[in-house]
Amino acid sequence: MRATDAPAAVERPLSWVNAEVVELYEQSPKVRSLFLDVPSWPGHRAGQHLDLRLTDEAGYKAQRSYSIASAPRADRLELLVQRLDDGEASPYLTTELRPGDFFEIRGPIGGHFVWTSSMSGPLFLIAGGSGVAPLMAMLRHRAAAGSTIPAILLFSSRTLSDIIYREELDRLAAADSGLQIVHTLTGGSTSDWSGETGRIDRDMLAAAGFHPSEQPRIFVCGPASLIEDVARHLVVLGHEPRMVKTERFGPTGV
Amino acid sequence: MTDTPAGNDIAPLDGNAAAGLLSEFFAVDITTATLTCGRCGAIEEIGATQVYGGSMGAIFRCIRCDNEVMRFTHTSGRFALDLRGAKCLFLKT
Repeated sequence: MRATDAPAAVERPLSWVNAEVVELYEQSPKVRSLFLDVPSWPGHRAGQHLDLRLTDEAGYKAQRSYSIASAPRADRLELLVQRLDDGEASPYLTTELRPGDFFEIRGPIGGHFVWTSSMSGPLFLIAGGSGVAPLMAMLRHRAAAGSTIPAILLFSSRTLSDIIYREELDRLAAADSGLQIVHTLTGGSTSDWSGETGRIDRDMLAAAGFHPSEQPRIFVCGPASLIEDVARHLVVLGHEPRMVKTERFGPTGV
Repeated sequence: MTDTPAGNDIAPLDGNAAAGLLSEFFAVDITTATLTCGRCGAIEEIGATQVYGGSMGAIFRCIRCDNEVMRFTHTSGRFALDLRGAKCLFLKT
């Protein structure tokens, strides 16, 4: 642990520190929020991630990256962990982990997939499933900063019960005319569903999103298949590739 | 962000995902640096390249022409950075 906290903007060598699990919350049948207390956390920017390291009794280490879902100034760090049945780390994190447990983290990491309220342009966020994590940090940061930059979240989930942060997103949008949330369900919906259905396609991106002439900053996070489709559609619609930032999650780590 | 069955090193991620690994070598966040692809000349942020990670390091490929622009390995207590696929690396000051 570090003796003093450094300001968020200061570059420093990353070191592994202990994080204590203070709360767990089941966001959906497959996704769990981990709330962490990290006394030496220097702060982060919305969209950054951290590396998490688990060590078993035999000393074997498994390392994974997770996006940070909590706002930059939140008291606790929040991560979203999706259970992958054949994964190495996620079955432990989603079933065996208990409040009071510790593991090692290092971060915050990455300055590429980052949005701060001082950046210009409308904000177009596109998420698939637990890929909403870094985008949620951006929306929470935007709300906390009182930003009036127009923002749209297009959020693909499998079914109604798989939608993560549904109530918080509704609350944020109800309190803010500059924020629009568009949900789409890919795994079937009931007759009273008023949102979109099916995978995110070119028409949905054109209808829900900002026009390229508005030069939105676009952040896309989710499974690789969603990222590749969405990034291709966005360029065909006329968005500049340099305005489109992507973050694939799984199935591999680095 | 990621989880994987052990040994599956196939699908690419965004270069951004390698920021933690690269921090073991660089004192600054290299994923926001740009480089020029040595084959097609595209200028791209390292965070936007395609990265193929494995247990020993990572390979970074140009998103336009798939050329290997950077290879970072960590084996036997030694880091190695191979940049022969890139023309120039630009760091913001």
